Amino acid sequence: APSSSIDPHPPDLRQAVFRPASTIRIPSLSLPLHLSLLHTSTPVTCRAPPPPAPPVPTSPQSPPSPAHLPAPRPRLIHHPPPPPPPALGRTDRDHAAADLRARSILLLPCCSAAPLPDDRAGPPNRASRSPTTTPSSPSSPSSSSRPKPIPPPLGASSALPRAGGGRIAQRSAGAMSRDGQKLDPAAGAVGIGVLSLDLLGQVLDRLREPRDRKACRLVSRAFERAEAAHRRALRALRREPLPRLLRASPALERLDLSACASLDDASLAAAVAGGLAGLRSVCLARASGVGWRGLDALVAACPKLEAVDLSHCVGAGDREAAALAAAAGLRELRLDKCLAVTDMGLAKVAVGCPRLEKLSFKWCREISDIGIDLLAKKCRDLRSLDISYLEVSNESLRSISSLDKLEELAMVGCSCIDDEGLELLGKGSDSLQSVDVSRCDHVTSQGLASLIDGRNFLQKLHAADCLHEIGQRFLSKLATLKETLTVLKLDGLEVSDSLLQAIGECCNNLVEIGLSKCSGVTDEGISSVVAQCSNLRTIDLTCCSLITSNALDSIADNCKMLECLRLESCSLINEKGIKQIATCCPNLKEIDLTDCGVNDAALEHLAKCSELRILKLGLCSSISDKGIAFISSNCGKLVELDLYRCNSITDDGLAALANGCKKIKLLNLCYCNKITDSGLGHLGSLEELTNLELRCLVRITGIGISSIAIGCKSLIELDLKRCYSVDDAGLWTLARYALNLRQLTISYCQVTGLGLCHLLSSLRCLQDIKMVHLSWVSIEGFEMALRAACGRLKKLKMLSGLKSVLSPELIQMLQACGCRIRWVNKPLVYKD
Amino acid sequence: MAEVPLALAHKFDQPSSTLLVHWFLPAAASLLLRFLLLSIVVLPGSPARRMVTVSSSSSSSLAMDHGQNHIHDQSANLYCQFNSDNPFLSMGVQQAFPPFTTPFGAVPSTNIPHMDWNPATMLDNLTFIEEKIRQVKDVIRTMVDNGGQLPCHLGEFAQQQQVVNTDLTCLIVQLISTAGSLLPSLKNSSFLSHPPAGHMDMANHVGSSPTLVPNVTTISEENNDEMYSPEDYEKLFKGLTDGAMEGGIEIDNVLVEEQDAKDGDEGNDAGMDGESLPPGSYELLQLEKDEILAPHTHFCSICGKGFKRDANLRMHMRGHGDEYKSPAALAKPPRDASAEQEPVKRYSCPFIGCKRNKLHKNFQPLKTILCVKNHYKRSHCEKSYTCSRCHTKKFSVMADLKTHQKHCGRDKWLCSCGTSFSRKDKLFAHVALFQGHTPALPPEEPKTSSDQIGDVGSHQEPAKLQGSTGSSFMWGASSGNDSAMDIKGFDGSSDEFLSTANFGSFNFSFGQADGFPGEPSGSSFSMLLSEHFQNSRKKGQN
Repeated sequence: APSSSIDPHPPDLRQAVFRPASTIRIPSLSLPLHLSLLHTSTPVTCRAPPPPAPPVPTSPQSPPSPAHLPAPRPRLIHHPPPPPPPALGRTDRDHAAADLRARSILLLPCCSAAPLPDDRAGPPNRASRSPTTTPSSPSSPSSSSRPKPIPPPLGASSALPRAGGGRIAQRSAGAMSRDGQKLDPAAGAVGIGVLSLDLLGQVLDRLREPRDRKACRLVSRAFERAEAAHRRALRALRREPLPRLLRASPALERLDLSACASLDDASLAAAVAGGLAGLRSVCLARASGVGWRGLDALVAACPKLEAVDLSHCVGAGDREAAALAAAAGLRELRLDKCLAVTDMGLAKVAVGCPRLEKLSFKWCREISDIGIDLLAKKCRDLRSLDISYLEVSNESLRSISSLDKLEELAMVGCSCIDDEGLELLGKGSDSLQSVDVSRCDHVTSQGLASLIDGRNFLQKLHAADCLHEIGQRFLSKLATLKETLTVLKLDGLEVSDSLLQAIGECCNNLVEIGLSKCSGVTDEGISSVVAQCSNLRTIDLTCCSLITSNALDSIADNCKMLECLRLESCSLINEKGIKQIATCCPNLKEIDLTDCGVNDAALEHLAKCSELRILKLGLCSSISDKGIAFISSNCGKLVELDLYRCNSITDDGLAALANGCKKIKLLNLCYCNKITDSGLGHLGSLEELTNLELRCLVRITGIGISSIAIGCKSLIELDLKRCYSVDDAGLWTLARYALNLRQLTISYCQVTGLGLCHLLSSLRCLQDIKMVHLSWVSIEGFEMALRAACGRLKKLKMLSGLKSVLSPELIQMLQACGCRIRWVNKPLVYKD
Repeated sequence: MAEVPLALAHKFDQPSSTLLVHWFLPAAASLLLRFLLLSIVVLPGSPARRMVTVSSSSSSSLAMDHGQNHIHDQSANLYCQFNSDNPFLSMGVQQAFPPFTTPFGAVPSTNIPHMDWNPATMLDNLTFIEEKIRQVKDVIRTMVDNGGQLPCHLGEFAQQQQVVNTDLTCLIVQLISTAGSLLPSLKNSSFLSHPPAGHMDMANHVGSSPTLVPNVTTISEENNDEMYSPEDYEKLFKGLTDGAMEGGIEIDNVLVEEQDAKDGDEGNDAGMDGESLPPGSYELLQLEKDEILAPHTHFCSICGKGFKRDANLRMHMRGHGDEYKSPAALAKPPRDASAEQEPVKRYSCPFIGCKRNKLHKNFQPLKTILCVKNHYKRSHCEKSYTCSRCHTKKFSVMADLKTHQKHCGRDKWLCSCGTSFSRKDKLFAHVALFQGHTPALPPEEPKTSSDQIGDVGSHQEPAKLQGSTGSSFMWGASSGNDSAMDIKGFDGSSDEFLSTANFGSFNFSFGQADGFPGEPSGSSFSMLLSEHFQNSRKKGQN
C-alpha cells in the first residue's frame, strides 16, 4: 500500500526526466542493493551492477547501470507484492522492503536522501529479486560477502552512503565474525538473518555512526526490527508514517519533529497514541501546527518526558505551556519565542514541573516580574535560565538571585535591567558561573563589578554591546576572577591599549575573548592581551580594522591552542600574519577572513591547518582557483566554506574543492559568476552538502542544477536567486531528487508554471520558497503550484502584484495552513 | 458673651457655672448654650425671644473669631459625645430611632404622638440632671485644685477636659429631651398633613453650626409633627433662626468645611498614614455611635431634609425661594484662610476595647470624621450590604460594596483550588504560598487550527478578543439568578454588553451614585460604568 501511495509518477515520466539528466545513476539505489547483498551474500551477477553505478557522472562505469535499470523496473511495477518465497522464509521480505522504502524516505537526511522515486521501487525489487536469482547464495557466509560490497566504496569512494554501507558491511561482518565463533553453525548456514534480535541489537550497539545504523536497517527485516527496537533517536520529516515508526521503536528516547512537515495536533496525537514509555526528549521547534491538544496527548503518552523544545512556535501560549506542565518530570524546557506565553503559562510550568533545571523563554515578552518570581519560588533546581529580550525589571533579578543552584543566566537585551539589578543578583548564591548581559543598555561596568564582587566562580561573562567604558572598579573585581574566568566578551566597547593590557593581566585563564567591533584595538593591545592569556582558543576581532599582521604574529606566538580566529574586515592583515597563524596554531578549526583582502599565498599557508572546519573568504576577490586548490589539498575536514563574491573562482577551483573537501556542508558561491554547469557537476560529488548558495551565477543552467540535485542528496537549502539561465530542467530534477530540500529561492529564474507545479508538488519537505519575479510563470501556474504545496509551505515570498491576482481562497487556504506570505514589491532589474 | 454665663447661671442656678464655661472652648460653649436656650425657648413661660437673640449673636460673633470649621467640629463633638453606657445617651438620642429602648419609659417619641406629659418622669429626669451636674462639678473642682498647684500635663488635662465635655453633653441632651417631652402637651394643634421631613434624628447633626439651630427645631418638629400647625412651625422656626441666620454665610462656609474634610479623607481612612502625632499634641474628640451612623450631614434649614453633600443641599434650597437661586448662594463657598490655624484634631472610636478607642493602650487616633464613620461601620457594625452577584461578600460600608462589585465576578485570575483573585499578583502570591495549587486558565473556546492565520486571522482578532473577555466574564460571574445576569440580559448578549463596558467611553458623573443606594440594578449598572471609568482613571494615575 505505501508504495502505491508514495509513487505518484508513472514510469514513463520518470524515464523522461531521467534521460535528459544524463546521469543514469541511482546512487541511493545502490545502498539497499548492496546491503541486501551483504545479507544474502548474493553472487556476482546481482551484486555487480549496483556498485558500477556510482554517482560520479564522469565515471566510466555509468553505462552499465542504464542498461541494468530498465530491467528491474518493469518487474517491480508488474508484481508489486511479489510472492517469491525461496529459502530462508523470506516471504515477508517484500513487506519489509516496502517498509524500508517508506522509512528511508522519512528518516534522517543522509538516508532519506536515498529514496528517490525509482529507489522506492528499488528495495522491493532487489529484495525480491535477490533471493530468486540467488537461491543458493545463503550458504555463503557473510564473510564471503564482505569483500564484495567493499570494493565499490573503495573504488568510487565518492559515494558516501555507500561508503557508509561499506563500513557497515565491514563492521557488521566483523562483529559477526567475532561473535561468529560461537554462532558459527547458524551464521554459516543462514547468514545474519537468523540471529536473534538480541544479538542484532548488540551488533547495532557497536555502531556509533547513526548513518551506519540506518544502513543496517536496510540489510534484513530482522535487522530492521532490531534496529527499530534499539532505536534511541528519531527525526521525522513527514507526518504520515509517524505512528507506525513510533510503534516500531519502543525504546525511543529522543524524538525530533522540528522538521516534520505539516505536523498538527491530530497527527501528533495519533502518532503518540500507542504510548512512548521511554521517550525523554522531544523537539518541536517551529512546529507551529502543534497546539495544546497535541501536547496534551504527547505528555500523556510519555511518562518519562524530560526535555521539550517548543521554541519558535510563535502561536504557542498559555494553554500549550499548561499542557507541558502536566509533565512533572520535565527538566529541560525551551519556550523561545512562544509569543503568547504569559505569566500564567509560566506559572503553570513552574508549578507543574518543579524539577526544571534548564529553562529558556526568551522573547516571551508577555512574561513579567511576578511570573519570574513565582518561577524562582517553585523551581528551586534551576541551573540554567534564559530571560533574554524580556521586559522585566530588577525585581526579577532579585527573585532569580534566590535560586541557589543557578549556574547560567542569560539576559540579553533586557533593557529594563540596570546596575541595581546586577547588584541584587550579586547578593544571591555563589553558584552562578555564566552571565550574559549583552545588549542590556542600562548596565555599566559598575553593575558588573558589583555582580562579580565576591563571586569567585564566575566563568563566563558576556557583556557585548552594553558597556561604554570600563571602570577601575570593574577591573579590580575582574582580577579576583583571575583563576576562573574563561570567557569574556566585550563586543562594541571602546578600548585602549592600557585597558586591554589590564584585562590581560586580570584574566590569565581566558579561553575565549570577544572584541568584535571594539574601537581602538591595536596591535599593541592585542599583544598585551595574548601575552598574558596563552590559553586562548577563540579570538574574535571582527571589525577591529586597526590590527595588522603584527597582531597575528603575537597571537600565533602566544596562543598555540588557538582554534577559532575571526578577523572579518581586518583589511590590514596580509599573508605574513596568516602564515604565522597557520604554522603556530595547528589546531585552528575556524577562521573568518571575510573582507580581509587575503590572496592565494595566504591560503597556501592556511592549508597547513588540516583541522580547519570553517573557512570564510567572502569578498576576497583576489582568491583564485590556485588558492582553493591549496585549501582542498590539505583541509579535508572542511565543513563550511564561504566564497561570497570571490569572482575569480572558476570551475577548476570547484573541481579541486569537490575532490579534496568531501565533507563540506555549507558552501556559499554567490556572485562567483565564472562558474558554469561543469563546476556544479563537480559539486555534485559533495554528498553531505546541505546548504548551497548560488546566487547570481548567471552561467549555470538546469543541467548544473540537475547534477547538484542528483549528487547532493542531503541538500536542505538552495539559493538560485538571479540564476537567470536556470530553467525547468533544473526544477524537474530538483523535484525528483532533492527530496530533503526545505528552503529554496528561485527568484528571477527562467522557470515556467509547469516546472514550478512539478517542483512544489514533489518536494515534500519544502517549507520555504521565495519566488519573486518568475516572469515565465502564469497566474494559473502559481495557482496550481501553490495548491499543490498548500499544506506544507510555511513561508512564501512573492511579488505583491500577485496578491490581487491569485484567488483569495488560495491565499486564505495557505494562511490557514500556517503559511506566512511575504509580499514584496520590487522592480524587475537584471544585474550581473 | 458676658450674658451667656449669666444665662447659664440663671438656668442651672449653679455658682460654678462660670467655671464650667471656662473649660469649654468658646465656640463649643456658645453652641451648647444655644442648644440649651433653644430647648428652653420652647418651654412655656420662658423668655424665649431675648435669650435666643443672645445666643445667636454670641454664636455669630464666635464664628467670626474662630472660624466656621472650628465651630462645626466642636459643635458636632459637643452635641453628640455620649458615653455609650450612659443612660442619657439612649434617652437623648434614641428617640429618633424607631425601635428604641430607654431607661426612662416616658421619653417622647414620634411613634407615640399623643403621649401625655408625665410630671413624674420629668421630675425624675430633672433629678438625674441635678445629680449629674453635681458629679461634673466635683470633677471640675478637683481639676481646679490640681490646676492651681501645678501645671498639669497637657495630655492629662485634655483628657479631663474631654470627660467634662462628655458629661456636659449628656446633661444638655437630657435637658433637651426633657424639655422636648413637654412639647406635645403644649401644642395640641395637629398638622398631620405635614409630611415627615425625611429621616431625622439628632445624630444627624454631625455637623454644621448653622444647621444646628434648625435641627433642634426639626427635632421638636419631628417629635411633634402632628401638633404643629404650619404657621406655628413657621413662626417658631423664624424665631429660632433669625439670629442664627444673621451670619448669612455661615451655612456655606461650614458646609464647605464638611466637604473638604471628606475630600481630604479619601484614601487614608485608617488615619494611620501620614504624621502620627504624639498624644496630647492634638485635640481628641469622640463622636457617639448614633452620630456616626447618621446617614446625612447636611440639612435643609427650612424643611429639614437631610443631604450628604452640601452641593445637594444647595440644589435643594433653590426650591425654597428665589434668594437661594442667586449665583452667590449656589456657588461653593470659599474656604476661609483662618481655618488653617485650627489645632489638629483627631478622633476616637466610641467602641470600648477598639484600638481606635482612646482608652486602648495602643491607641491610634482616626484622622477625620469620615474615618470615624467608616471605621465604626466596618469594625463595629453589622455587614448589611451583601453583594448581589456573589451573595457571599458582605460589607457595612456602601463604598466597600461598590468597590467589591467592581471586581466581583470579574476575578479572572483563578487558582486550581477555586479561589479567584482580582489581581494577578495576588493569585501568584497565593500559588506561591500553597503547595500544589496552580493557576487555572479560564476555559475558552477550543483553539482551531486557523488560529495562526496571518491576514485573515488578524481580521477576526478583535471579535475573538471580545468573545473571550465575554466568556471569561460569564465564567467569573456566579451563575444563577442574580442581578448581574439581569444586567447582561437587558443588553441582549454578554459580549455586546461587555464590549460597551469595555470599549465605550462614558463620561458619567458618578458623584451622585452613592446618593441612591436603594436601586440594585441601577446602581450595579452605574457601577459597571464607573468601573470602567475609574479603571481608566487609575491607569492614568499610574
